Amino acid sequence: MAQRTLRGTGATPRSGVGTVVWYGRDISLPDPDGAVDPEAEIERFADAVGTARAELEAEREATAERVGESEAAVFDAHIQFLEDPTIEDAVETSISDGLDAANAVDDAFGEHIEQFEGMDGRMAERADDLRDVRDRLLRLLTDGERVDLSDLPEGSVVLAERLTPSDTAQLDPERVAGFATVTGGRTSHAAIFARSLALPAVVGVGDELETVEEETEVVVDGDGGRLLVGPDDDEHEAAAADSGATVVEGAVETADGREIEVAANVGRPEELEPAADRGADGVGLYRTEFLFLDRETPPSEDEQYEAVREALDTFPEGRVVVRTLDIGGDKRIPYLDLPEEENPFLGERGIRRSLDPDSDLFATQLRALLRAAADGAGDLAVMFPLVATVEELDAALAALDDALDDLEARGVDAERPEVGVMIETPSAVFVADELAARVDFLSIGTNDLTQYVMAADRENERVGDLHDPTHPGVLRAIHRTVEAAHAADAWVGMCGEMAGDPDLTELLVGLGLDELSMSAVTIPDVKAAVRETEYSTASELADAARFAATRSAVHDALTQ
Amino acid sequence: MSRERVVTIVPEAGLHARPASAFVKAVTDHDAEVSAGPPDGDLVQAGSMIAVTSLGAGQGDDLRLVAEGPDAEAVLDELERILTTPEEELDA
Repeated sequence: MAQRTLRGTGATPRSGVGTVVWYGRDISLPDPDGAVDPEAEIERFADAVGTARAELEAEREATAERVGESEAAVFDAHIQFLEDPTIEDAVETSISDGLDAANAVDDAFGEHIEQFEGMDGRMAERADDLRDVRDRLLRLLTDGERVDLSDLPEGSVVLAERLTPSDTAQLDPERVAGFATVTGGRTSHAAIFARSLALPAVVGVGDELETVEEETEVVVDGDGGRLLVGPDDDEHEAAAADSGATVVEGAVETADGREIEVAANVGRPEELEPAADRGADGVGLYRTEFLFLDRETPPSEDEQYEAVREALDTFPEGRVVVRTLDIGGDKRIPYLDLPEEENPFLGERGIRRSLDPDSDLFATQLRALLRAAADGAGDLAVMFPLVATVEELDAALAALDDALDDLEARGVDAERPEVGVMIETPSAVFVADELAARVDFLSIGTNDLTQYVMAADRENERVGDLHDPTHPGVLRAIHRTVEAAHAADAWVGMCGEMAGDPDLTELLVGLGLDELSMSAVTIPDVKAAVRETEYSTASELADAARFAATRSAVHDALTQ
Repeated sequence: MSRERVVTIVPEAGLHARPASAFVKAVTDHDAEVSAGPPDGDLVQAGSMIAVTSLGAGQGDDLRLVAEGPDAEAVLDELERILTTPEEELDA
């Protein structure tokens, strides 16, 4: 038995075990009676608002990418609170009356936080948003420091009075075993974020949480809504063995022996180690855009070579699939002449740009890849994004051969990696047999494929219902791609969100996918799901699903 | 000249979260002074997220909107659209 059991509300049906790290916010306000220069204080306030706005916009973007558009929307509300005329008026009035900016902010927000807390239900949750915005401003105005949530020791359980959206957005799910908060309910931001990231969490534990000491071992039982302080061996083991969190090392196969590669989607070098720790067999999608964004000049061949080497050396026994530069008119890159396009997602992007006008950039990237393939520990594979025609693939393959000839002529070590095509356009699905005959593998990018097959913008919530890969049109496109790949002796993978949903693993295995690549978070869940799958029954399920006429019939087939 | 109308709130969450966010954004995007409140009560500044949220207006409540300025009619149309669109159909 645990020494103590605290009760709250479970936010995720997950358990985790770890060591307590208290997340406080050490903000000390200056003496309100101190002398101030009102003009300077008003300027400090305006600067803090400007910085806070920039931070919120950056966090909004990061959250949209990492968690999802709807979770990111909360930051829009924060920006509105930040720039609220009521707050601005109150702060400026207080400062004119001789108060410093920090105390003026504290007073202005304090009044409304109290007011919101007195209101019922979901309205009260807005008090959390106001606190978040207030604390952000106070941190900027008082140079306050906080524990860096993005850099916690592995296996930390974060305890806090409350966790705001900006806090939870920084929590690195690879390092955090879970969290518990004094306040909050099932619909609090902290709980919603916990679910999005599949983190064990208990919210609304109450003031008793504050009696749990730093560095104590605890179990966060998100299913039972309990926090076990000082768990005994059995409790510890049960939490560590929770199916959601147990890392499965090494290759997995279905119950009847069909091996499925489970790999990670990676967008930055910092994500490589956590993906390996999470049990990834390799990398199924290494997005290379990070090398090109936020800089004034393109990265050198050597810089790109080093980045790919690092990935290959992280997975010495595995395969790393690198996608060549996939960029278009929705991005701004100073050294590229990216066009303003009416509809960038149907414009000049992906392989279209790499062939022309960015062919020099493409050649440099290919040389870096070929050199890394020769020197790196793991196996490299290269794939081309947004291919729609066989001509494009032929031209890309010719560019690869040219780069290889170029390096060999100069006596530089180079090796031809496995080469593949991303299947994202309906055209690529229809000519998948021709494409597969020319390459080693196909990789289905379900996010874009769904967008293009269904003609439904990924970002437009009005058509969000259409943007679902379980529509029969998309399932049949996937099936057709798999058949074409296997007929040409090519392997076939999937690297969209769909691949990371353990509820769809049986369907995808049944459709014949050889590899599934996903955000590292769900790798253990998908590996567990693969092991529970019987390929023979899975392919019957897949047949039922792909012959279904409607999405609801697909869902019926999946839940039978 | 000021214009006004009374709208019944449709989103399940009331004037809260995303609908509130869209509401305030619509006000700040238009060239008009807008205030809002219960039909028989005090009006608050509609361009303030805090003021709008603190109205605590729920689904089915009537909200009185008063606008003045060049965009008065346009902003009222847009606010009415936001208040009468279920949250899941509201674009961000």
